[in-house]
Amino acid sequence: MGLNYLASLSHYVPELLACLTMFGLILIEATYKEEKKDRGLLFLAAYIGLVSVTVFSIFNLGKPPIAIFTNSIIIDSFSSLSKIIMCLGTLGAVYLTSQSDDIEGNLKPEFTIMASGVLVGGMLLASANNMLVLFIGIETLSILSYVLASLKKNDERSSEAGLKYALYGGITSGIMLFGMSHIFGVLGTINFTEIAAALKGLTDAQVFIVLPSFLLFLVGIGYKIACVPFHMWAPDVYEGSPIPVTTFFSIVPKVAGLAALVRISTTFFADPGVLNVGWVGTLSIIAALTMTVGNISAIGQQSVKRMLAYSSISHAGVMILGILVISDIGTRSVLFYSITYLFMTLAAFYIVSFVNDKYGNDHFERFNGLIYRYPTMAIMMSILMFSLAGIPPLSGFVAKFHIFNALILEKYYTLAVIAGLNSVISLYYYLKIVRLMTLKPSESDEEIKGFSYVNQGVVVLLTVPVVALGLFWEKILMVADGAKVFIQ
Amino acid sequence: MQATSNLLNYILWTPFIGLIGVLLIPKAKENMVRYWALINTAITLILTLVLYSKFDTSVAGMQEAFNIKMPWISSFNIFYSLGIDGISLPMIVLTGLLFFICVLSSWTVTKQIKAYFALYLFLQTSVFGVFLSLDFFLFYVFWEVMLIPMFFLIGIWGGENREYAAIKFFLYTFFGSILMLVGMVALYYKMGAGIDSFNILAMHGGKFAGETLEIFGMTFSFAKLFFVFLFIGFAIKVPVFPFHTWLPHAHVQAPTAVSVILAGVLLKMGTYGFLRIAFPIFPGASVHFSDAIAWLGLINVIYGAFCAMAQTDVKKLVAYSSVSHMGFVMLGLAAMTTTGVNGAVLQMFNHGTSTAMMFLLIGILYERSHHRWIVRPDGSKGFGGLYTQLPRYSIVFIIAMFASMGLPGLSGFISEALIFLGIYERFTTITVLALLGLLLGAAYLLWMFKRMFFGDVIEECKNYTDMNAREIAYMIPLCVAVIVFGIYPAPVLNVMRASVGNLVEMLSKF
Repeated sequence: MGLNYLASLSHYVPELLACLTMFGLILIEATYKEEKKDRGLLFLAAYIGLVSVTVFSIFNLGKPPIAIFTNSIIIDSFSSLSKIIMCLGTLGAVYLTSQSDDIEGNLKPEFTIMASGVLVGGMLLASANNMLVLFIGIETLSILSYVLASLKKNDERSSEAGLKYALYGGITSGIMLFGMSHIFGVLGTINFTEIAAALKGLTDAQVFIVLPSFLLFLVGIGYKIACVPFHMWAPDVYEGSPIPVTTFFSIVPKVAGLAALVRISTTFFADPGVLNVGWVGTLSIIAALTMTVGNISAIGQQSVKRMLAYSSISHAGVMILGILVISDIGTRSVLFYSITYLFMTLAAFYIVSFVNDKYGNDHFERFNGLIYRYPTMAIMMSILMFSLAGIPPLSGFVAKFHIFNALILEKYYTLAVIAGLNSVISLYYYLKIVRLMTLKPSESDEEIKGFSYVNQGVVVLLTVPVVALGLFWEKILMVADGAKVFIQ
Repeated sequence: MQATSNLLNYILWTPFIGLIGVLLIPKAKENMVRYWALINTAITLILTLVLYSKFDTSVAGMQEAFNIKMPWISSFNIFYSLGIDGISLPMIVLTGLLFFICVLSSWTVTKQIKAYFALYLFLQTSVFGVFLSLDFFLFYVFWEVMLIPMFFLIGIWGGENREYAAIKFFLYTFFGSILMLVGMVALYYKMGAGIDSFNILAMHGGKFAGETLEIFGMTFSFAKLFFVFLFIGFAIKVPVFPFHTWLPHAHVQAPTAVSVILAGVLLKMGTYGFLRIAFPIFPGASVHFSDAIAWLGLINVIYGAFCAMAQTDVKKLVAYSSVSHMGFVMLGLAAMTTTGVNGAVLQMFNHGTSTAMMFLLIGILYERSHHRWIVRPDGSKGFGGLYTQLPRYSIVFIIAMFASMGLPGLSGFISEALIFLGIYERFTTITVLALLGLLLGAAYLLWMFKRMFFGDVIEECKNYTDMNAREIAYMIPLCVAVIVFGIYPAPVLNVMRASVGNLVEMLSKF
């Protein structure tokens, strides 16, 4: 079944490259003198490293799925596509770091190094076919995230964020391990393939133990996705962290967690039965709560960053809807959603970050009359907000359409309606920012340094796919459709 | 053949090309933007008239010669599919006409002209898109896209409370469309996700009559449930009571041209949705709910009229009169008889012209007075003796008012008469009660007229100037339409007759 270790390595190039990037960055950072501020080489190396990870993941995309390292890691097109999304998200966050003033100069390399580390964890999580590997992935991702959250060392809020994140994280990891140990205790294996086989012939008594164990297992993943009721850490962490870190957190760990959730759901719970009902029921409740709580909390926010952070919780809820249908169409819709979400979130956070650098905060009023000062940016931000709310013909709508599609095909009408009502709620706060930008007079005429032509170009470049994927989404849908989860 | 086969494309995309043109014109050349928009909408209007002249009135279904169908997203069987029949044609011509006229009325807009006309032309493309689409997905996209320019047009160029109005409008309509989206996807799968699954025409004919679905263990009729979903989506647009609360705000706050478009065209998208989508796809359910629709229509008529009567802001009065008049359209639709539905479609067209006149006239007055109070909040008169001050204006106002009231000889009468004739066979009580609405309509309009135009000339009205040449120029086509179609409605009735007959025949089977 499995390949030997050396043969496995050839399929494992993206992960190895990501590790290599991380170590390379540490070495480069060590060569800098303390007073040297410009870290051009370091960022260049990071870009090269991350782009090469993306490229090699793209190579893996077309290859037949394969289980490596004695069947503990699966390289299929689903995991490769998730990795590409995570990698692009990291790339975006790293670029933002290089431009942002929110992170101090000497901390920028630290962020870049640790982001690559989180990426490795995320990649592992997306490919894991073994509870231990999954756990290692989650912990790699988490421990580095704790550090990232408290990156502003002298800032109280940032330290608080890090501590909260670590405390919650430690507890959920413990709960998850507790669940895993029960699963191992009942089924005698930690390999997903073998668990899936063993689940088919369970006695009622065993189901009685296994199902709650899986729900405990879900806690760990739910924590990474920041779904309700495991979301308590998210607003504080998002608020306390520097904006590039928030950007990073709202993309990479979420996509990684969702990818793991997709694999677990499709591998274990595809067959109808008690397990399926329990799992899907739990996910339904979680998804509905996540969407609603995320949205309702986002309404009252003062800071745009916090608003986007809460809205990212609700987007995760929508993506869980695509997972709980447990079908190829569902998986496809989750991937499509992640791709569009990646571009929308990145571009929106870029704009927020540049405004924040100028004024020291990102309260809604800072966006007043932006259209009279930076019309391009205001138009891009409006497009992004409309897309996030799901107005056609933008890609956010198409992504929602696919989720609806998956739900209605499996006859989850109620959830579809709940999701729909949630997009109406979300429209309210997304419109708020559009309204301030376009309908209010400008507060001041000061120049915003961050909106240099290059940065404006980057934002436009990120917004182009948001529009293009709304009109011509067939190609990307085909890619997402090809990215099937490999089940042995 | 070749010339006509792309006509719908030209109609749909000419405003969009105009939009690109507007964006390319330098900001300083404001008049150039205005003339460009005028020429553009004029071309569009001519194209719609060409379409009218080439239209074959004997065909009941879609006019084959104009159909356009190209794959858009093949894997989902989504097509870029346009077509025209007797129900959409009057709406297309109305859209072409009103957008052209409203450019002239927007001549006095001075704030951000480039953006204004860019959004305006964008709105025109999306409205055409709604009336021309034969693919449900395409229809939905245009239906939603329309909200974006509307939001900005109300929000940036509107009155003092514009932001609230813009957001309320956006959220209300979006809420309705989301239910429609769920219905659309459900229909797609009920159609088998095959080649015709987003094709509106293929869904027609009550294919889903016996289907059921289960939610939380309760069994619902597929047709009835999703008819209600679609109904809410369209009813918000019409607006049908109790979904009408966005309308007074949006109408009052919007700039004149946008109020005209909103009342003249956008409200008709709701009733058009019933005619094109909700009724033919779920004929059984629509017959089942026709009593409820008729009662809701009646509430619209009476409630709208009473609300209008209570207003002291003349624009709000006209806005509520729209609620009342759209109630007549709902009544005509609920009748589901040939006469009634013909009357409803005719009323859609006639209300478009008469209410457009009313809003334009109020806009003209507002440019002089900068207020719209019939009675100011402090109890003093806002206007008085306008009749002696503005004779030309008064004559046009009288025509518009009587058309809106449904005076014989003007357009409103024919359509309302047809609606009453159509509905009397089915709902006698409702007909009698709705006639009360006519009476109320006459009451609030005449009362308003008395308070504003008769009596002593109040001090500030003395320096108002009468309508200028531009204003007269754009009122003439509407006056002509109102009078001509009041005497001789055949040009409109003839084009819709076959298509309406087809629809009613389909409904009569259930």
